[in-house]
Amino acid sequence: MTQSSSPQTQGAATVIAVRDLVKQYDTKTALAGVSFDVHAGEIMGLLGPNGAGKSTTMKILTTFLTATSGAVTVDGHDAQVDPIKVREILGYLPESTPLYADMVVWDYLRYVGAMRNYPKAELDKRVAEAIRMVGLQEYVGFQISQLSKGYRQRVGLAQALLHNPKVLILDEPTSGLDPNQIIEIRNLIRELGKSHTIILSSHNLAEVRQVCDRVVIIHRGKVVADGTLDELEGRLASSHPIVVGLQLANGTSKTDAAAQLQSLAGVTKALVSHEAQTPVAHTIFEVEAQDDLRAQVAAWAAKQGHVVLELRRKSMDLEGIFQTLTQDAQA
Amino acid sequence: MNAVLTLARREMAATFDSPIAYIAGSVFLVVTGLLFFFGYDGSADFFAAREATLRPLFEYAPWTLAIILPAVTMRLVAEEKKSGTLELLVTLPVSDLQIVLGKLLGAFGFLAVTLAVTAIFPLMIASVGNPDLGAVIGGYVGLLLIGTAFLALGLLTSTWTHNQIVAFIIGLLLCVFFWTATDALLKLAFDRPPVALELLSFRTQFDAFAKGVIDIRNVVYFLSVSAVAVVASTYSLQSRHWK
Repeated sequence: MTQSSSPQTQGAATVIAVRDLVKQYDTKTALAGVSFDVHAGEIMGLLGPNGAGKSTTMKILTTFLTATSGAVTVDGHDAQVDPIKVREILGYLPESTPLYADMVVWDYLRYVGAMRNYPKAELDKRVAEAIRMVGLQEYVGFQISQLSKGYRQRVGLAQALLHNPKVLILDEPTSGLDPNQIIEIRNLIRELGKSHTIILSSHNLAEVRQVCDRVVIIHRGKVVADGTLDELEGRLASSHPIVVGLQLANGTSKTDAAAQLQSLAGVTKALVSHEAQTPVAHTIFEVEAQDDLRAQVAAWAAKQGHVVLELRRKSMDLEGIFQTLTQDAQA
Repeated sequence: MNAVLTLARREMAATFDSPIAYIAGSVFLVVTGLLFFFGYDGSADFFAAREATLRPLFEYAPWTLAIILPAVTMRLVAEEKKSGTLELLVTLPVSDLQIVLGKLLGAFGFLAVTLAVTAIFPLMIASVGNPDLGAVIGGYVGLLLIGTAFLALGLLTSTWTHNQIVAFIIGLLLCVFFWTATDALLKLAFDRPPVALELLSFRTQFDAFAKGVIDIRNVVYFLSVSAVAVVASTYSLQSRHWK
């Protein structure tokens, strides 16, 4: 029972369609209407901070959970109507790679293949092929509990791609790995992307940049951005937040200084962030502008007699990116 | 069907990989051995009795099964819930019912192996006397059936929690309740318990087997209890969808 039988349809056919997904856990809304498409051959990055709804989306895609409302189709099959068919098409690596620690790698993969109904003769071939693809040849006889996290991740990937699935769903495939392992697993995913449609989730923007063709960003159960990385970065480039730490000149209040910063040409927003006590007491301002205004801010401070103790671009951490994008979406 | 057998094989291997199986199996063999050689009150002991019978063994073995089998089934689903492997298992192209059946069948493998080892007792009797083969077969069929019902109840409690100890304790209470407490409670509540209620007791239903009689009604009863527990376990697995 292989999945390669269904013919590859048009160039970039929609393989996964997610429509208005809502998931309500008791009183908590995990997903508040998520929609996106994934096309054949794409590596799609599902990005979002912890608790944004990435895993919930994936659990619904893989038929582990059912959405409160909305629909998921995988290769034309509705996940709720025909879950078994969807499971045949998918390979899934859940978050933190749960595996039977007491089993030997080879036996475990054979077990997964047998559960997928491969006949005996083909089963050994498929297992050997999966082991070769993830580079586990030297570890087939090891008990899974003896493997390092990186190699356990490979076993997890091997079970996901054992049946050569059309779609791979990987939930945070590199979390918890050391930097070398991360690079290895990323390379592996890129390699797999040549022959599979992949959705991978991550809270690491750099990772998504390296691996994915397209990004869907989820924040608080909603899609806040959906596009290629270029498009996304274009939107982010329009905002240049900087952080300014000032020992204010005598007679200038924090609010006055913030107002003055706000009035500088190009500044869209300036506010007092907090007061820093060490090493020298000073006030931190956050300034948002359409351009990098550090030179102008320094010149202004010198003119006003403020001592500049700190002046830097605010690094765009993920939370900052989400904030920016969410504000965009609201504007 | 293939998936059920594959899963059953894995479950059986995992059971015999853990010390629990050997502890549970040993307890069963020791207790049934004592019952066999000395009877339950020491009077009808094997060496003195003129009768070549296994009745004391068959009458009291369900007690032991009610205690050890929940220890064997406690890990079946609870362990997978705790480690997260359940998510991979239920997203394989198999139905939740197949998963429940596979797990039950794997545990049944343990029961069958354990009971097979006790075959040494009838063989000993056969070497010195002339046991009623029909009674021996009836007793074993009864133990397999009541054991399956205990396993199914234990499996059900294992689907309720990710804590194996909790699964064991609730499973134990449930099995002991069906084996003996229904009986005791009915006697407390009624001078003459209604027959319909009496029939709910595992003990009432097992009686005939211990005497070596295979009554189809008793067979159907234990199979029905197991089936109800299997269906309930399947629903319990599916409850993740509407939580």
